[in-house]
Parts: sequence; C-alpha cells; structure tokens
Amino acid sequence: MKLYTRPLYAPDTSIGKPRDPSMTTTATTPKFVARDVKVHYGDKQALHGIDIDILDKSVTAFIGPSGCGKSTFLRCLNRMNDTIPSARVDGTILLDGEDLNDRKVDPVVLRARVGMVFQKPNPFPKTIYENVAYGPKIHGLATSKEEMDHIVESSLKKASLWNEVSDRLHQQGTGLSGGQQQRLVIARAIAVGPEVILMDEPCSALDPIATAKIEELIDELRQQFCIVIVTHSMAQAARVSQKTAFFHLGNLVEVGNTEDIFTNPKDQRTQDYITGRFG
Amino acid sequence: MTGYLFLALIVFSVASFMFGRSLARRKAAAQGVRAHSLPAFSGWFVAIWSFIPAAVVLLVLVIFGARLENAIVQSDVPAAVQQLPELNQGLFFQDVRAIANGGTPSTTVYDGELKAAFDHKVAQARSVDSTINLGAYVLTAVLALAGGLLAYTRISPQFRARNSVERWVSVFLVACSVVAILTTLGIILSLLWESLRFFQSVSPLDFLFGTHWSPQIAMRADQVGSSGGFGAVPLFIGTFLIMLIAMCVAAPVGLFSAIYLSEYATPFMRAWIKPVLEILAGVPTVVYGFFAALVVGPSFREFFNWLGAFMPGTPMGEYLMNVQNQMALVAGVVMGIMLIPFVSSLSDDIINSVPQSLRDGSLAMGATRSETIKKVVLPAALPGISGAMLLAVSRAIGETMIVTMAAGLQAKTTLNPLDTVTTVTVQIVTLLTGDQEFDSPKTLAAFGLGLTLFIVTLALNLIAQRIVQKYQEQYD
Ligand SMILES: Nc1ncnc2c1ncn2[C@@H]1O[C@H](COP(=O)(O)OP(=O)(O)OP(=O)(O)O)[C@@H](O)[C@H]1O
Ligand SMILES: [Mg+2]
Repeated sequence: MKLYTRPLYAPDTSIGKPRDPSMTTTATTPKFVARDVKVHYGDKQALHGIDIDILDKSVTAFIGPSGCGKSTFLRCLNRMNDTIPSARVDGTILLDGEDLNDRKVDPVVLRARVGMVFQKPNPFPKTIYENVAYGPKIHGLATSKEEMDHIVESSLKKASLWNEVSDRLHQQGTGLSGGQQQRLVIARAIAVGPEVILMDEPCSALDPIATAKIEELIDELRQQFCIVIVTHSMAQAARVSQKTAFFHLGNLVEVGNTEDIFTNPKDQRTQDYITGRFG
Repeated sequence: MTGYLFLALIVFSVASFMFGRSLARRKAAAQGVRAHSLPAFSGWFVAIWSFIPAAVVLLVLVIFGARLENAIVQSDVPAAVQQLPELNQGLFFQDVRAIANGGTPSTTVYDGELKAAFDHKVAQARSVDSTINLGAYVLTAVLALAGGLLAYTRISPQFRARNSVERWVSVFLVACSVVAILTTLGIILSLLWESLRFFQSVSPLDFLFGTHWSPQIAMRADQVGSSGGFGAVPLFIGTFLIMLIAMCVAAPVGLFSAIYLSEYATPFMRAWIKPVLEILAGVPTVVYGFFAALVVGPSFREFFNWLGAFMPGTPMGEYLMNVQNQMALVAGVVMGIMLIPFVSSLSDDIINSVPQSLRDGSLAMGATRSETIKKVVLPAALPGISGAMLLAVSRAIGETMIVTMAAGLQAKTTLNPLDTVTTVTVQIVTLLTGDQEFDSPKTLAAFGLGLTLFIVTLALNLIAQRIVQKYQEQYD
C-alpha cells in the first residue's frame, strides 16, 4: 500500500514555529501546531483560544467535562466543522507547517490525511470489503482489483480485524459486533493512508473486552500514526496516551505528559477533575 | 318536528347538567365531606343519561320511521290498485307518500275506484305517520325524563361519577371507530357483491384478458350485440402507460428535489421551497385536469404538428400532423407534476432518516458531498425510496380527474404516448355518469373495474408500507 504525503498546497516555511517555548516539552516534531483557536456556533463561543502542539507518532488524549469543547477542537483538526453551517473557526492550525484553514486547502484532501473515528460505530450499510474499499475507491488509490484486495487486507490487518472477518468479507458490515464494527471503521480510515487518526470517544459504546482490544490496537497504531483520542475515562487516557490535554469550559487548562498530568497536575481544576470532584 | 324535539332534548340535557352539578355541590356541602368526583362529573353523568337513550330513539325514528310507515301502508293493497301493472303500483304508493307527507306527486291522475283507494291510503298514511311520530316523541320524552331522574337520584358525594363518565367517553370513542370500520367493510362488501353480479354475466377471464372494450353497445337490453365488449386489457394498458409517463416525470424530479432539500439547501432556501411544494400538493386535481386539457394538451399538439411539418410526405410526418389534443403524454406529464410534491416529501423524510453519522463517516474520509450522497446516502435510503415510489404508483393508478379531462375515452391497446388511451378510472366515470340503469352489465362493469383497482392499489400500498417500515426500523 502506498503511503504518501500529499502537500495541502505549496508549503510556507515562514510560519509553523511554536510561539510559546513552555509548550515544546519534548524533542519530537509536532504534527499539529494550534494557536489561538476560537470556535463559535452562531453567537455562542465554544472554544476560547486554544494553543497546543500535538506530537507525531504518539497518542494524545483530550479529557474534560462534558460540553467543554473536546469534540469541537477535534473536529477543527480535519475541518469537519465545515459541515456544520453555524460553526465558525478562527486562529491558526498548522499540519506539518501548513495552515489547515487556508483558503487554498482542499478539505477533501485534508480529510484523507487526517482520518476520523466516531463515538458510535458507523459502518456503511455495505459489505465489509466495500466498507474498507470505500475510501481508496473514491480517492483512486488502487488501479487493479489485486491492489484493492491488498489495501483491504492490509488495512484490516492493521486494525486487528483480519483474522475475524477474512472468511466473510462479503457480508454486511452492519452485521458485526459493536467492537468489530469500531475496528472496521478504523480499518476504513486506515485504508486511505492517513497520517493522523482522530478518535472521538471510540470506546464509549463498547463493552470492556472490546474496549481492551481497541486500546491495544491504538497502542500498535501509534508506531505509524499520530493519534488524538477524546475520552471520558481517566483510566483509558492513562493507559493509552503519552500526552494528555485537559479542557474546561472551552479553555485548554493544561497539557503535558500523561504521567505528569495524572500524578502531579499543576492546575487546581485538573486536580479536581482527575480526582473526580467534578465533571 | 323531529328537529325541534332534538333541540329541546339538547336544552333539557344542558339543564340536567346544571341541576346535577348543583345537586352534587349542595349534597357535598350539606354532608361536609369532599366528594369522590368533581361536581361537573355529576353534571355530565345526569346529562348523559338524559340525552343518550332519548337520542337513540330519535335516531331510530329518523332512520326507520319512513320505512315502517311504508311497510304498514303497503301491507294491504286495495283491489283497484292490484290490477295496475307493478311499475304503476310503485308509482301509486310514491304518490300517496308525496301527498301525505308533503312532496311533489307525479302527474298521474287517479279517478273512480282508484281515486277512492288513493284518498283512503293517503288518510291511512297520515294517521300511521302521526301515530309513529307521537309514539316516538312520547318515548323520547319519557326516556329523557326517566334517564335524567334516575341518574339524578344516584348523585351523592360517594358516587363515582368520574369513573362513570370515563366509561361513557370510551364508549363514545369506540363508537366512532366502529363507524369508520363498518363504513370500510360496507364499501368492500358492496364492491364485492356488485362485482360478483357482474362476473355472473361476464366471465372474469374475459374481463381480465379480453382485449375488446366497448360497454356502450350494451346500453339497452333489446339492442343487437347486447353482450357488449368487456375485455379490460386496453384499460389496463392505458392505465399502465399513463402511470409510466407520470413516474418518468415525478420520480427523478421529486427525488432530486428531495436530495437538494435535505442535503444542499440552506435553511433559507428550504423555508421557501417547502411551502411552494406544499402549495403544489394542495392544488385540487380538477385544476390540474383543466390545466392539462386547456394548456398542456393544445401546446403539445401544436408542438408535434409543427414537428410533423418538417417531414412532409413521410408517414411519420403525416402522423405527427394529425396528433390530437388528447394523448397519453399530456395526462401522464401533468399527473407526474401532480405527484412531484408527494414523491419529494416522502423521499425527503426517508433521506433525512439516514443517520447523520453515516454522512460524517464518509465526509471524514475525504469524500465530497455528492460522492457521499451517491455512494452512501442513496444506497442506504434505497429501500425506503422504492417504497415511496410504489406509493406514488398507487396514487397514479387511482388518479381520475386528470385522465378524465386529458387522456380521452377511446379504449386502444397501444403504448404510443401520442395516442389517446383510456384508463380504468376514466371508464368507471363514464360508465356511471348520466342516467343509468343500475342493473345492466354496463354499470356493473364499473364495480368490476373498481374491485380490480382496489385490489391492485391495496396490494401496492401494503407492500410499500412494509418496505418503508422495515427500512425505518433498520435505523432505529
Ligand atoms: N453543532 C453544534 N451547534 C451548536 N452548538 C454546538 C454544536 N456542537 C457543540 N456545540 C456546543 O459547543 C460546546 C462544546 O461542545 P462539544 O461537543 O465540543 O463538547 P464535548 O467536550 O465534546 O462534550 P462531550 O464530552 O459531551 O462530548 C457545547 O456547549 C455544545 O453545546
Ligand atoms: Mg464530544
């Protein structure tokens, strides 16, 4: 399978350097650099200026009480907010140094690079094979049947689903169990060769065993992808992520190494949240 | 008189309501307890018992009074009348009724013995009439008073008037739904019964598979060829052809406008287009009918005549030059326009019930909006949409006014959209309009056609509803 970087447009090298030195806590290169990101839904402001660097080849967890804007910020990262007519996004978000919100950026190309997995498994009412082949087909990634078969197989393998479905690729994807459906959706996202996978509460509709499988999968995918996951489970954030960002009322309160956030939070609000005093 | 009595009964019931209510209040106050039910329920209780039994008697009088009178008057026929032919006997009694109860008698002059018999019967009819009425009125009054009094005496703070009224409410609701069910049953039964009579004179096989339709020949029993032609195939083909043309217009336009409305339109556009479609849906079909007959028909004819003028001498040209106003194409196109809002609003609902998460899933993979619609939304909505189309087909088949005005009357076995064809519904209309003998195969044929139509549309509706239901369950 081809994995290639598709430039969003001719790169502008003058921007993209993090402004806030305190944010650059590790040496690895940031995949996303967000500065002063504000989102309004109509008159209502949902995000009040978010500054964050998201590292490549690692898992970043977004935590915070309900309604604090985690999903909203996640959707900024692949411009899914474009699909909500009332939403307005201001600020800069750089992906590999290129501004996502630039007029020259084609959101369709961007979303092929930044895939997304939703809270409820949403396989299309098609066969398992067609579900995975959907993205490669619309982006023209395969020129022959063999190539497509290969993409489907390797995507399902990466999503740890191949062994369970290899003998029934042509059955309906909606007939799988919830956990299998969620892995199918991950395979579907992987099939277009993204660099980033965004996951919005991917396990909240799953039982503990299916959840454990997905967490294991996330840990494997980290080798190849930049992963951002929204979760309501502290334990899950602690298990799967290297970086954790705590959101509260539309603000990013604290971001840092997961260990530090959970053992030694700097902000009182973070402390209260992880010890379960609110949220 | 009956009307006044009914009014009086209503007034009496209102009074009973007030008496009942105030009695309940006074009793509760006197005993110094809280009554089981609010005073108004006691009022209702008394009013119901004053009204309903008496009203039933009045209703029976209205429905059966005249029949009872006739039965009594006609039970003994005077000798002079017995000598009359049967048809004139009927006329005789009709005239008796007309004179006795006030009406327009026929112009027949009765004299001699007949005159005596006539006067006697008129007198008898009058006395029977007044006896029946008097009896009914007295009975009404007695029942109203007795019912009211009996109910009145039961009122006490302990009496559960509320529960009793509740029971009457459910009786009333059941009665209403029974009326609906009985009416439906009655229609179906009469349709079946009359069709059965039709199929006694015309074999069902000839009817369903015969290709010769000319019921006009059978107008009078003494005519040559009174059997007529009752092969309905040309009608079925005409119906099918017009339905097909209508669906060719309604299906794509309706579906695409539904896609636009549900997937692309801004709230502003939606706020404009939806009401316009609703107006289109509210236009009476007869208006579509004369639109078809007076505007679309002539302009289509002119167009084809004009086209034919380019090919002089050729058979095609000749044919086009002679095309008439009334053709299947006109009726089909106008019917298609009529169906657009129907198809569009059904498809709109169905497309909207495709979960947003599927669209998000597709968009998040970098699919464009139209790719998402084509590859995800429409396939997911397909079963529901096909159900909607079947419902539209069933409406097209049953539509009458447009085809009556625009399609023509000639039963032809043709699939040529420029030809005049006729449909099942049009033939039912022509068979039954005007003065008709009710028993001839000609009029009974209408019931045969009606039954066929009923079965086909019923089947289509059932299948379509099952499909739509199945589809919507899938996403619950
Ligand atoms: N489509 C929308 N239109 C209007 N307001 C919205 C929309 N989506 C979210 N919001 C508002 O924006 C705020 C942030 O919502 P968001 O969904 O990002 O929260 P969240 O942190 O993901 O919450 P949860 O944990 O419950 O998913 C909320 O106040 C919400 O009401
Ligand atoms: Mg959320």
